[in-house]
Amino acid sequence: MDRRKFLKSALLAGAGISAGHGLDFLIKAADATDAVDIVAVRGTSPTAITTSAVAALGGMKRFVTRGDIVVVKPNIGWDRTPEQAANTNPEVVATIINLCYEAGARKVKVFDRTVNDARRCYEQSGIAASAKAAGAEVTFIDNRKFQDIRLDGLALKTWPLYTEILEADKVINVPIAKTHGLAGLTLGMKNWMGVMGGWRVRIHQKLDKSLVDVAHVIKPALIVLDAVRILTANGPQGGNLNDVTKLNTVIAGTDQVAVDSYGVTLFGRKGEDLGAVKIADSVGLGIMDLSKLRIKEIAFS
Amino acid sequence: MIVYRRISQGLFLLIFCFLFVQTESKGGDELGYPVKIFLDFDPLLSFAAFLSSHTVPSGFYLALILLIATLVLGRAFCGWVCPLGTLHTMVSALKGKNSPARWYRVKYYNLLFIIAASLFSLQLAGIADPLSVLIRSFSLSVYPAFNYAVRGFFDTIYSLDIPHVVNVSELIYRGLQRTVLSFGQPVFRQGFLIGLIFIIILALDFVDKRFWCRSLCPLGALLGFVSRFALLKRSVNNACTSCGRCQKICPSGAITDEHGNARIMECLYCMDCDDLCPQGSISFGLSGGSKFVAMNVGRRNVVSSLVAGIAAVPFLRTTPISATNRHNPKLIRPPGACEEKEFLKKCVRCGECMKVCITNGLQPTLVDAGAEGIWTPILVPKVGYCEFRCTLCGQVCPTGAIQRLSLDDKQRTKIGLAMIDKGRCLPYSFALPCIVCEEVCPTATKAIWLESTLVADRAGKKITVQQPHVDLELCIGCGICEKQCPVLGEPAIYVINSGESRSRDNQVLLS
Repeated sequence: MDRRKFLKSALLAGAGISAGHGLDFLIKAADATDAVDIVAVRGTSPTAITTSAVAALGGMKRFVTRGDIVVVKPNIGWDRTPEQAANTNPEVVATIINLCYEAGARKVKVFDRTVNDARRCYEQSGIAASAKAAGAEVTFIDNRKFQDIRLDGLALKTWPLYTEILEADKVINVPIAKTHGLAGLTLGMKNWMGVMGGWRVRIHQKLDKSLVDVAHVIKPALIVLDAVRILTANGPQGGNLNDVTKLNTVIAGTDQVAVDSYGVTLFGRKGEDLGAVKIADSVGLGIMDLSKLRIKEIAFS
Repeated sequence: MIVYRRISQGLFLLIFCFLFVQTESKGGDELGYPVKIFLDFDPLLSFAAFLSSHTVPSGFYLALILLIATLVLGRAFCGWVCPLGTLHTMVSALKGKNSPARWYRVKYYNLLFIIAASLFSLQLAGIADPLSVLIRSFSLSVYPAFNYAVRGFFDTIYSLDIPHVVNVSELIYRGLQRTVLSFGQPVFRQGFLIGLIFIIILALDFVDKRFWCRSLCPLGALLGFVSRFALLKRSVNNACTSCGRCQKICPSGAITDEHGNARIMECLYCMDCDDLCPQGSISFGLSGGSKFVAMNVGRRNVVSSLVAGIAAVPFLRTTPISATNRHNPKLIRPPGACEEKEFLKKCVRCGECMKVCITNGLQPTLVDAGAEGIWTPILVPKVGYCEFRCTLCGQVCPTGAIQRLSLDDKQRTKIGLAMIDKGRCLPYSFALPCIVCEEVCPTATKAIWLESTLVADRAGKKITVQQPHVDLELCIGCGICEKQCPVLGEPAIYVINSGESRSRDNQVLLS
């Protein structure tokens, strides 16, 4: 048994125990015969709910083909610890990586263009350690690997984007749900700022449109929105544990707009309250209207 | 002995370089290596800081160990350990003919100047201390240049994109990145000046072998003074044929004549003469100690040096900056820095804090802190901000000029305050949305808050923007807002040093 398999089975075993019903979640996931657009899974083990969410969408094999190079893109933007909920939950990230390898991925890459010092962000978020343990190639952003990409979008004509994400066979977006001063919330589409090069703070002048422009060229095979802990104030970097709410939830889907639209509801708001979601819907990037979507909600007691 | 000496010099140089490269964050809260240990052992820095500030630096007792070692072994530190001395040994090897010691007295005047000034509260030891010189030169100039050269080389191959070659070169590059290269390209104002001084210091070895060690080094002078009383003594016996070989190879010019007589304070204890003497008449041992030459540094010169050191105090202090640091709002000191006067008494300008600063924001001053404050660290937020959860500068400071802070204390320590320039700010002056300063503000409750305001654009259309405000109670002056402000050149939000925790008077708020 190699290290990766061992860790995976150890994680699964741990997850099973903490879910309280043994390997219940696998059975629940197996029920998901009908196709669904969005899955929201609630439970105390991040590993278990992530595994269950992917299973409910048809399993990782639906998204990752044998031999694929996969980019798993978490939010590692801030020098904060997992409890502070500014970066994606490291267990969720590790689980996705494990599932990718299980589905036959050749290599899983993890990176983010951070806001704070990258070394601290990678280390303090716990993501570098968990992703490496899961066998991913964790690298810091290499400035030589940005390339001007023609977007011809609503706000951006061209912008330097990270070639490794454009060249990957599959991209899995693993953002975290938080508040944000301008965007309102930062969810899936906002996470693409982490692959934008250049003097990117300028995009805040037309933030929503810019995010939609970038979301147009990066087509994730799967989005897993981490809401294990969410920041309800002082986002997107937080720092005050009183602003953190534990929702023990992940939301997964294949439609960037739909996942974000559902994500908004975690904060007691609606999809159309978020500029980027509304614009993305209007230009046909995805579906905002939750009533048109098949949503499956799973809860571990 | 020559072989052992070279091994010792090489080993200590390697240790020095290893610790130097480790003076960099890996992402954790601690560095994990005693990177300042060479400075801790330096008695000149410890005593000068002690004399001027009347506080005991953390390395004081280690420095005592070096003094005691010198009482036993003489100036063996200079000959066998000092990494700058080793570099001088290497450069001096390129100079053929040895010359007699001519300016060897100067270093004693340097030392006396430094001690006199320190006694009267002006601490300039670090400017001329060899370990300070070396770390400062490496940190601010040599290492950045080395990084630039290596990066440039591999980036060129990368951009040429020759198949197969790139794979190999990138493999080597990654190996170098993991070992000897810095995380990012370090940049320092005055890097050129400090590098130039360093090159001159080394190039002087072509005038006299180990010119710095024999003529300028104040630490060498201090250890030389102590080594007068050393137990290990050099002696020449009667077998000497006065061939004069020892005089020709003596790197410090301590041997004054062909009979092997030497000035004991000048001897670096390299023991090359012992090895080279064809008669085997030179030896180092606990007994004996014949034939050493008395030395006269000149009473008038001694008095002049002391007077110059004392006179330097008012000369350097009569500036507006010394009167109050309010005159330079950009004099933003690192978190944990002592109150300015105290800080200058303690800071030995080694550059460790600038080397370790995670964002490269700590830069050397030139005249920003007055002539007295040359090469002390200030934060230049446009280059790099103070990372909220980083405490490294306080960890590497050898004298406590920057106090080591706990993470909690660090996050409460104000180094200045952010001010908004409404005339440049996008939501205030240009009806454009922007919240970047608020977004990056790291305090738990953000010091920058937003006010939704209705503004009109040129066509009279009403737009809601969020205008930033600074809560002066909460702002710690870290400068990330200034660094990230999209308004380039002169950012629309900038940090001034007013409000800094270390000062009683440089305050804006009534408290």
